[in-house]
Amino acid sequence: MQSVSKTISHRVIKDAIRIRRVEEKFLELFSAGKLNGTVHTCVGQEFSAVAFAGQLKKKDFIFSNHRCHGHYIAFTGDIRGLLAELLGKASGVSGGIGSSQHLCNKNFYSNGIQGGIVPVAAGYALGNKLRGEDAIGIVFIGDGTLGEGALYETMNIISKWEIPLLIVCENNLYAQSTPQHINLAGDIGSRASAFGIKTFEGDTWDPELLINNAQGAIDYVRSSVKPGFFLVNSYRLNAHSKGDDDRDKEEVEIYRNKDFLNVFSKESSDYYNRYLEVINKEIDDLVDEILLEDELPLENYYKPEAVVSNNSWVGLEPVNKRQVELLNKFFRDKIVSDDRAVFLGEDILSPYGGAFKVTKELSVLRPERVFSTPISEAAITGISNGLALNGFKPLGEIMFGDFMTLAFDQIVNHASKFHHMFNKKINCPVVIRTPMGGRRGYGPTHSQTLDKFLVGIDNVKTVALNTFFDPTIIYESIFNEEHPVLVIENKTDYGKRILSHKYSHFVYERNEDAYPVVRVKPAVSTPTITIVAYGGQADEMLSMLEAIFLETNLKPELIVPSLISQLPVDIIAESTMNTGRLLVIEEGSGYAGIGSELLASVAERAEGAIKMKRISAYPVPIPAVKSLEHAVLPGKNRIIKEIKEIFC
Amino acid sequence: MALLQDITVPLLAVNDTTLTVVDVAFPNGQPVKKGEIILVFETSKTTYEVVAESDGFVQYLCEAGRDYEVNQVVAKIFSSASEVIKEPVTAKQEYTPHVQDGKKNTVNDWAGETLFSLEAIDLIESLHIDKSVFKGRDFVSRQDVEELKGINGTSNNKLPVQPVSQQPKKTAIPVDNSKVIIERISSNKKREIEFLSHVQSIGLTSTIDVYVNTDGIFVHLNRSLKYFKNSLLPVIIYETARLLQKYPALNGYFTGDGIAYYKSVNVGFAVDIDKGLKVLKIGGAAEKGLTEIEENIMGVSSRYLDDTLQIDDLTDITFTITDLSSEGVAFFRPLVNMMNSGILGVSSIDEKLQRCTLSCTFDHRVTEGKLVAAFLRELANRLESYRATNHNYPTKDILCYKCSKSLQDDLGDVGFVKSITPDGKDGYICQSCLKGF
Repeated sequence: MQSVSKTISHRVIKDAIRIRRVEEKFLELFSAGKLNGTVHTCVGQEFSAVAFAGQLKKKDFIFSNHRCHGHYIAFTGDIRGLLAELLGKASGVSGGIGSSQHLCNKNFYSNGIQGGIVPVAAGYALGNKLRGEDAIGIVFIGDGTLGEGALYETMNIISKWEIPLLIVCENNLYAQSTPQHINLAGDIGSRASAFGIKTFEGDTWDPELLINNAQGAIDYVRSSVKPGFFLVNSYRLNAHSKGDDDRDKEEVEIYRNKDFLNVFSKESSDYYNRYLEVINKEIDDLVDEILLEDELPLENYYKPEAVVSNNSWVGLEPVNKRQVELLNKFFRDKIVSDDRAVFLGEDILSPYGGAFKVTKELSVLRPERVFSTPISEAAITGISNGLALNGFKPLGEIMFGDFMTLAFDQIVNHASKFHHMFNKKINCPVVIRTPMGGRRGYGPTHSQTLDKFLVGIDNVKTVALNTFFDPTIIYESIFNEEHPVLVIENKTDYGKRILSHKYSHFVYERNEDAYPVVRVKPAVSTPTITIVAYGGQADEMLSMLEAIFLETNLKPELIVPSLISQLPVDIIAESTMNTGRLLVIEEGSGYAGIGSELLASVAERAEGAIKMKRISAYPVPIPAVKSLEHAVLPGKNRIIKEIKEIFC
Repeated sequence: MALLQDITVPLLAVNDTTLTVVDVAFPNGQPVKKGEIILVFETSKTTYEVVAESDGFVQYLCEAGRDYEVNQVVAKIFSSASEVIKEPVTAKQEYTPHVQDGKKNTVNDWAGETLFSLEAIDLIESLHIDKSVFKGRDFVSRQDVEELKGINGTSNNKLPVQPVSQQPKKTAIPVDNSKVIIERISSNKKREIEFLSHVQSIGLTSTIDVYVNTDGIFVHLNRSLKYFKNSLLPVIIYETARLLQKYPALNGYFTGDGIAYYKSVNVGFAVDIDKGLKVLKIGGAAEKGLTEIEENIMGVSSRYLDDTLQIDDLTDITFTITDLSSEGVAFFRPLVNMMNSGILGVSSIDEKLQRCTLSCTFDHRVTEGKLVAAFLRELANRLESYRATNHNYPTKDILCYKCSKSLQDDLGDVGFVKSITPDGKDGYICQSCLKGF
């Protein structure tokens, strides 16, 4: 048996014992059925937590992962909040909503998504740098996380942009149950150094050295304002979670005997037992007290809200400017006037100014707030999320709507969940903009409208711009949002002027919602068919209204929502009950689409027999060849034919 | 040899996407005359009769007692008997969408060019219509043209009638034609019988009467009423409506296994002036002021007289008032209407005793005498509170029959004496004339 260091501070030992005892308590409580869900303990790895989290300053921050208890205790000292959280009590650090893997307190964040936290941490650190603060951040990953792409996207960016973030990789040799030799190629440290990131190393069996090296890495990141990568070699003495341990018992035993605290308990049992007694009493007293507490009532977590649309309508007038000019003008104003604004995206620097020129010359006006990124959609979105958590208003641009799938984890598992899973302690007002739509011949991977995949994300607003009114009305509202917004712009709409064709037989108006609903109705006649379209398809419909009447006898009322994640069902249902007919047209394919959602919502509300129909793109990739592309997307001939068949 | 009329299920109220056929008037294939009632629909609110638009032979595609979708064809009238299929056709529940017809589209205030649909142009040309008749419209569809030409029978608008609950039962009392002359009762009367027997035939009704002192009651009322001088009806509707909120049992009806309480108070009042007995509705009466109620009475009464009553004027009545005060009656027993639990009868004012009788008949299955007595007493007290006290007599209108001096001009402080004039009439005499100078 090796001997433990005699010079190490007993405060550090006590901190490590406390972490271990809290986690062992969790396992006890779990066995006693008092703990819902799961826990991942870091027993054996505690000194990593103490070395890094314990040596940061208050203004610094931490992003951690599923195995985060040690980091949390070392950084915040808040054992009570952690115990209450895992016991599911309202006084828990995340109100019992987050439990073991989702903690948020005093610049400490954790999330159970491997890799995804790394770009978020990078964004948070970038925010600190933009403010000129010397605060740094640490993001903890495990060796299992080395399989995640988002990690490498982010390492590339933090190195290139010199973001003060220290990545601490706790290498416990296993990714859940899988030993490293099965799923890890090459060398861990070389990964970071290949990106030009300075690397450090240490292990939990020599805490004194680890603490010294950790301090050195922290100092390096802070003083050089550059990223670092620290490899902590360690071993987890318990299972990944609770009982799921298939590791070789002899192997575990070797590490158990090598464990610093185990050695210390034998070599200095007097001290150890004295510390243990105090810590056990502290924990037991807290648990006894917490067990009596109440859980969060549902109404404090979620309250249903009915859709109530604004019902005052203002007339619409043409604006002799292209949509893209209006957007660009708005962003130029904002980047100068709003200190929260940060623009990120591929190729957005001047003179190029983005694939569709929306961000033209922004980097001339305020270069430090415009980041032309590598081709890294997950990192663009994740860094945007981190900036948003840190008080900024990031506008991430995804060059083509089709690429939103690459950013999906950041939207669904991070932006969407942060506010609620941390029991509403924080907001993530991130904005992700992307153009969708076909009719440009870009082919299958650059033309799809996949808005239906976005509108079902809880607590994320999805907005579709249109050409009926100045889109800056929508962006003003977005700048006031406290929660994530996805903006679907349209490639063909960029070049169009606002309400360029106004037909005299119709009245054009919008309501005064933050995300206005447009209504185009016959000048005096009562409409006999309600048509709903949005985004680029709405503009297509505009030029079709007269033709629809001429050919079908039906007098159309067109309703164009802009907030498509919460459709104005009240307005549409009312119109539908008056006309008896409802047609929804969407540019994406129809199955389980926005049209389906709308029809179902209207059916739930409307009274009387109503004939309904969805028209959408055919369920195939959008062809590049013009004739086929126009056949696949909902066009005039198909729409009129279908109206005649269904409604006449 | 032609189809003369398709009878479809009409859309009478937004909520009724199906209607019940409650009466099929003829056997299949029977000859019918223009104007005869072919069948009767029942909505959730009222009944609706469909009459033949021309002589012909009727074929039913429906059965009494079953529901049919709006717009479904339920009967046809053919020009010859041979076209009628004799077997009754079972109820088709085929789906027909509710389609807005053109009725509301006849707005004519468009200054711009009129846009005609392609089918509209075809139809206009084939019917040789002058396009200028559509001046003032923004859009003209085929349906608009059809509507203008009366195609599709949109002109078949009739007054809705009072509800009947089921097919009239034929009472079989033997008649001897040598001793009596039979006059068939009208369908209106049949409906009235049905309508009233619904509650009354059970026999569990009772009537309570109270007096209301009316002395001086019109002094103020006549001042605040515009049209109804010396009539208690507006104020009775006003006060009853408010009281019904306190006595919900009288604002409901017996459902067979429970009591239905109406959520709003819609007082109906019975009228019968040449156009048949009808109960006209004052909707939301508990929220309306006296003036508004008076105006409502005037409005709905003139629609009654002009035959322009809307279905809404006749339906959803939650309590009925029948006013026979102009008929010189001392008291009477009103009959409770279907889907009501009470009715208030207003008798004439006895000028000598300065009082009138209020009678309330109620459905004992819903409420009982003690409660109705309290209701009536409270109503009477409220009405009596309108009486002017003596100080407020219009002193200038009280004249001494002898010297024609008005009470107002009399300088004494003892007032006039009520007396019988030499020609036997009521009158007043001043102290001076009574005692002599």
